[in-house]
Amino acid sequence: MESVSGEAGNFQVEVVNHPRYIDPDKCTGCGVCKQHCPVDAIDEFNQGLCRRTATYIQYAQAVPLSYTIDRDACIGCGLCEKVCLAQAPLYDDHENRQTVEVGAIVLALGNEVFRPDELAAYNYDTHPNVVTSLEFERILSASGPYQGHLLRPYDLQEPKKIAWIQCVGSRDVHHCSNSYCSAVCCMYAIKEAVIAKSHSHSGLDTAIFYMDMRTMGKDFERYYRRARDEYGVRFVRCRVHSIEPVDDGNLSISYLAEDGGIEEETFDMVVLSVGFQTSKKVRELAGKLQIELGPHDFARTSSLAPVTTSRPGVFVCGAFQGPKDIPQSVMEASAAASAVGTVLSEVRGTMTKSREVPQPRDISGEPPRVGVFVCHCGINIGGIVDVPAVRDYARSLPYVEYVADNLYTCSQDTQLLIKEAIEKHRLNRVVVAACTPRTHEPLFQETLIDAGLNKYLFEMANIRNQDSWVHDDPEEATEKAKDLVRMAVAKAALLEPLRDSEIEVKEGALVIGGGIAGMSAALSLADSGYHVDLIEKEGELGGNARKLHLTWKGENVREILEKMIRDVENNPSITVHLNTELKNVDGFMGNFTSVIENDGKEETIEHGVAVVATGAGELKPDEYMYGKDSRVLTHLELDQKFLQDDPELEKINCAVFIQCVGSRESERPYCSRVCCTHSVQSALEIKKRNPDASVFILYRDMRTYGEREDLYHEARAAGVIFIRYDVENKPTVSVKNGKLQVEVIDHVLGKPVMLEPDLLTLATAIVSPGDEKLAQFFKVALNEDGFFVEAHAKLRPVDFATDGVYLCGLAHYPKSIDESIAQGQAAAARAMTLLARKKVEVSGMVATVNPFLCSSCGVCVAVCPFNAPSFNDRGVSEINPALCKGCGLCVASCRSGAISLKGFDEPQIFAMIESL
Amino acid sequence: MKEYIPKIREIARKLLEEEKVDAVLGFRKGTIPMMNEPFMARSASDVDLLYWDSNCGINLANYLHKRKEKIAVVAKGCDTRNIVNHIVENQVKRDQLYIIGIPCRGMIDRRQILAMFEGREIEEVDEDAENVIIKGDGLSETIPRVEVLQENCSICIHHNPVIYDEMVDEPVEEPDHVDRYDDIKAIEEMDPEERYQYFRDIFSPCIRCYACRNSCPLCYCPTCFVDESRPQWVGKSIDITDVMTFHFLRAFHCAGRCTDCGSCERACPVGIPMRLLTKKLEKDIRELYGYEAGMSLDERPPLDTYRPDDPEFFIK
Amino acid sequence: MKDWEPKIVAFLCNWCSYGAADLAGVSRFQYPPYIRVIRIPCTGRLNPKFVLAAFRHGADGVWISGCHPGDCHYLEGNYYARRRFALLKSLLEYMGIEPERIHFSWVSSAEAGKFVEVVSEVTETVKKVGPLKYFMKKRPEVE
Ligand SMILES: Cc1cc2nc3c(=O)[nH]c(=O)nc-3n(C[C@H](O)[C@H](O)[C@H](O)COP(=O)(O)OP(=O)(O)OC[C@H]3O[C@@H](n4cnc5c(N)ncnc54)[C@H](O)[C@@H]3O)c2cc1C
Ligand code: SF4
Ligand code: SF4
Ligand code: SF4
Ligand code: SF4
Ligand code: FES
Repeated sequence: MESVSGEAGNFQVEVVNHPRYIDPDKCTGCGVCKQHCPVDAIDEFNQGLCRRTATYIQYAQAVPLSYTIDRDACIGCGLCEKVCLAQAPLYDDHENRQTVEVGAIVLALGNEVFRPDELAAYNYDTHPNVVTSLEFERILSASGPYQGHLLRPYDLQEPKKIAWIQCVGSRDVHHCSNSYCSAVCCMYAIKEAVIAKSHSHSGLDTAIFYMDMRTMGKDFERYYRRARDEYGVRFVRCRVHSIEPVDDGNLSISYLAEDGGIEEETFDMVVLSVGFQTSKKVRELAGKLQIELGPHDFARTSSLAPVTTSRPGVFVCGAFQGPKDIPQSVMEASAAASAVGTVLSEVRGTMTKSREVPQPRDISGEPPRVGVFVCHCGINIGGIVDVPAVRDYARSLPYVEYVADNLYTCSQDTQLLIKEAIEKHRLNRVVVAACTPRTHEPLFQETLIDAGLNKYLFEMANIRNQDSWVHDDPEEATEKAKDLVRMAVAKAALLEPLRDSEIEVKEGALVIGGGIAGMSAALSLADSGYHVDLIEKEGELGGNARKLHLTWKGENVREILEKMIRDVENNPSITVHLNTELKNVDGFMGNFTSVIENDGKEETIEHGVAVVATGAGELKPDEYMYGKDSRVLTHLELDQKFLQDDPELEKINCAVFIQCVGSRESERPYCSRVCCTHSVQSALEIKKRNPDASVFILYRDMRTYGEREDLYHEARAAGVIFIRYDVENKPTVSVKNGKLQVEVIDHVLGKPVMLEPDLLTLATAIVSPGDEKLAQFFKVALNEDGFFVEAHAKLRPVDFATDGVYLCGLAHYPKSIDESIAQGQAAAARAMTLLARKKVEVSGMVATVNPFLCSSCGVCVAVCPFNAPSFNDRGVSEINPALCKGCGLCVASCRSGAISLKGFDEPQIFAMIESL
Repeated sequence: MKEYIPKIREIARKLLEEEKVDAVLGFRKGTIPMMNEPFMARSASDVDLLYWDSNCGINLANYLHKRKEKIAVVAKGCDTRNIVNHIVENQVKRDQLYIIGIPCRGMIDRRQILAMFEGREIEEVDEDAENVIIKGDGLSETIPRVEVLQENCSICIHHNPVIYDEMVDEPVEEPDHVDRYDDIKAIEEMDPEERYQYFRDIFSPCIRCYACRNSCPLCYCPTCFVDESRPQWVGKSIDITDVMTFHFLRAFHCAGRCTDCGSCERACPVGIPMRLLTKKLEKDIRELYGYEAGMSLDERPPLDTYRPDDPEFFIK
Repeated sequence: MKDWEPKIVAFLCNWCSYGAADLAGVSRFQYPPYIRVIRIPCTGRLNPKFVLAAFRHGADGVWISGCHPGDCHYLEGNYYARRRFALLKSLLEYMGIEPERIHFSWVSSAEAGKFVEVVSEVTETVKKVGPLKYFMKKRPEVE
């Protein structure tokens, strides 16, 4: 993207397509060019740790899977053009500029990692065994420079001892200007250490050198504990001074231990956990786009609109919005989609086109007539496998009516040939023996559709990827190809036409919970034109936010909340039901019927989707004299005082905060994520009211992740004193002569310290009640801590495994207001992917129950990850095709043999086995 | 165990008279010695036919699935575990049952006794707390019951019902250390060839009458896999591979559900010890997943569930 | 005469191990040509009957491979499958199938290298133990 003109709803974006020098439409990704390319160039994707040729793909899973030529490295020998039978190389390819018209823009520009070259004391530049974490990621990767073998660059030997150095280029204003925390490095370092251990053959010793261990994400704390207690990763709290080379490529780390002593330890390899920063290029682009950046060059947003930039119509998500991990990035991506949806709701669907397809032929009653097409794939198959022999062999197989071999079966003209053959020979099953169904099945299925055959009457034999490419003996490879074709034909003969059906989606959404996240989801849905029923069990909207004072960005929560409540109440598409609870839920994605109850009156609501935003609460602790002394408060109670601007606050001379009260302990082994920042902010507020007050924060790790780190700096500058304690040695609180006394061991001094606060604030855990009833209504799961379980921790953070139900806010995991708002928007976006379709297409490849065989044992109901099976009113199982994903788990679990899986059915698989 | 009879009858009479149940399922004395029969008492007048002694091995859970009426069932330890299975697997509802719990001291092995007196006619078999008394044809022998217990009963560790509405007596003491898996361990010690030969010898007399399957309370599928026709992949012959395939799958279908009640072995006309397979699975499941079949209404059998950290030492 | 060649059936889940097999191809890694792949949607689809049937139809070895725990495309299929496999393998061995004949692995679609390692290992072990001796439908005349 070069530049942007115009305005929200009507942007002109100038984009440049860089030349690839190989036509991606012709390239089949076979890689013959790479095998002949004589050039030796640096593989920058693998961080320069290995070499590649001039024609290359970055990695084998790249999309699209087509090669490019690195013209800077290319010597112009012309070999690739000669060897490519697909005639894909385009030496005179050139840069291509075009202007695209769009209504909104999402910036997902990401970050670059910090380059540690300038940190002379770490010897990154000079020593090959000092690597960045990104380099180490590549080293661990199966597709990396060493194929996933754990080796160190210096001598390609397996290291026996590796150290990670945290906060390189983060939380550091001495060696660079990145004062913020990059928020992902603690977790990735632990992950790398654990994976490295599993790749090691010799009991690898791993140590992570850190200041604060910041594992504040969902299930991260548990991972941290497991890494330490089960995998034996060592954690060393210190400040690293330098990394010096010693003998044999080893490195000696000298560090300042917590007690002030200087220590040294030698390792085989050192990984620098480098942080994020916005690149110069992105900064420049932001300038051209006229969007404002914050103090650390991340896109400026507000807590109320966390994915909205300063320029209308331009949205942001991911690490360019602020340092964050994958789940958080994915969440924001959906939030940005939702924000775009709001802007463009009027024109939704105006640019879609539908395609005319011929009515599929009725093949019932016809005996199988199989056509087999064997592909040469240039020389990729034909160079090893005797393709004509395989073709002739295929002709001898039962039900085969037609055979052919083609240079490129996937080429456009072959599709015409296949279509003709289907029509002329009245074929009713097609087998293509070529590459892999994972990439090519859809293409051939389209050809079947065009030829008037049901697309499921198709089968592939993988004689390239799994034969000619991996075996060099032509005879054996040819034999194998025949076997594979025979198996495929055996299966194909038993294939049946399947119907993809459609299910109507009801218009509305039900949002459960009227806190910040629920309101945010409701507003996004309503602004995109969907009706929302928002139910709240209390008499008021707002949830926990009603009791909060400031966001971490310093905005007044009251103002945000009041605006949101006003917007919700004034939105004609939102019906708010206060004092209301959910009584019953029936149905499934697209078709829910729920009963809600308000004051004894029941009402039935029909809706297509549901958003769970039921939040969580604050732990009321039974330690540290809470409830026994009025000077001991929780955070929400202290915020109440701030909100009322209680004059008593100015009189506080000594305030103490105790962190992790009820969090990160055996009973509740998770971090509540918001409390560190909250305490720091409250400490500053107290200082603001009385600069002479002494304020202490007793903590285990300060987890002011991301740009929240600024607050931590500010607090230290303002004289707030931070004292670390160990969970085995928690502070004690008592009252003596009417005075509140807090005693804690100071690690730096190694001595107990006695404090006498007039205010003791407990940073108590965020706890979820674990709403079993709601979980059962929507057939979704709760985790051990009572939070709802999303479909995938990284990639589907707002979906449930059950389709049509989405998750946001504290019900998912503790998070801050801006994060809850983003997740609310994200849930709305995910819900809209269903609502916008009006009808859901249901694949034909689903499981079905034969009611006469079902013994009602309930295995299928118990095991299905998607809750597709249930008992019908005759007491036997029935599978909802809209929910079934076709995994076949129930099929294999059903002892009664009552379930069949279309497309991978028992007879079909047996036919393959029998024709071995 | 005959001392339980009055109590069984008393409970049954009360339940039927008060119309708390439609029927009481128990045993009546068989016409042949050591062959008591399942019996359904439907009115108070039937009650005096109810009977109990150490020849009530048949697992009454097998008579419960898909019942509509409200039923009381006289159930020993293993029967109750199968009832638990039934409830979990949706074959009967808990509130449909009234379970009359028997603290079981073990069933006697009819086949063993017949073998001991081979060729001589046994007219009556009586018992007291310690002994079994065999009479007939000039015979009167007293044998300690521990010597003629069914093999599964002699290694039983759940004599007492795990679920009941009323017990007929105080629970009996459970043995504290029994090695249930002597025989399994011995087989595990063999090498593969020996194991195959061993099982081939064991299974070759099988006539595929399916008595074992039919007597098993777990086998309630409308169509058993052996009768599947599409695809008909496991042969119905008594070819050794077909027989072993049948037994393999029958055992596999019982994995995590079999309570070692011994019904299958008791039913087999040719005396095949097929519990060697089910017990192997029982042992594996205990070792791998710490699970025992039929002990709790809140847990599904081990193959219907998982733990993320289940053992996977056998996976590359 | 050629050496005896083992016949090995590989049941690979579509999303991970089948992808690894494809990637091994893209990477041109060479491995022994004795496996015959049957693609299944997920390891959860694997009915124990398939394994028995494979032996009945003369497979000398069976290999089942899917996504690593936590990575199953269908979230949980491989967790259930793992329990099924544990018992399946144990009971087969108990009844006399040599442990060398039945293999399980987790191979992700990026692990072409591991795929090749496992195929090679499986092939080697099956080769070492020789042709299947029992559990096939038609047993050889000599026994
Ligand atoms: C060493 C390391 C390890 C990590 N490990 C983990 C981990 O284990 N788990 C985890 O959750 N997170 C991890 N993270 C964090 C994770 O990488 C980020 O959260 C995530 O990748 C951010 O995604 P993004 O899309 O915002 O940014 P990016 O991944 O940086 O993507 C931005 C994309 O935009 C493109 N782009 C930039 N400018 C333009 C332009 N002008 N026009 C067109 N395209 C443009 C870029 O080329 C890039 O492809 C790790 C980070 C690092 C550095
Ligand atoms: S105080 Fe809260 S945010 Fe800080 S580490 Fe403890 S639980 Fe996590
Ligand atoms: S697993 Fe099979 S027998 Fe059991 S309920 Fe489901 S379909 Fe019916
Ligand atoms: S095939 Fe998979 S998704 Fe479909 S019903 Fe069975 S277990 Fe559920
Ligand atoms: S094991 Fe016995 S009871 Fe079972 S089928 Fe064979 S012969 Fe019949
Ligand atoms: S999809 Fe690969 S194991 Fe489930």
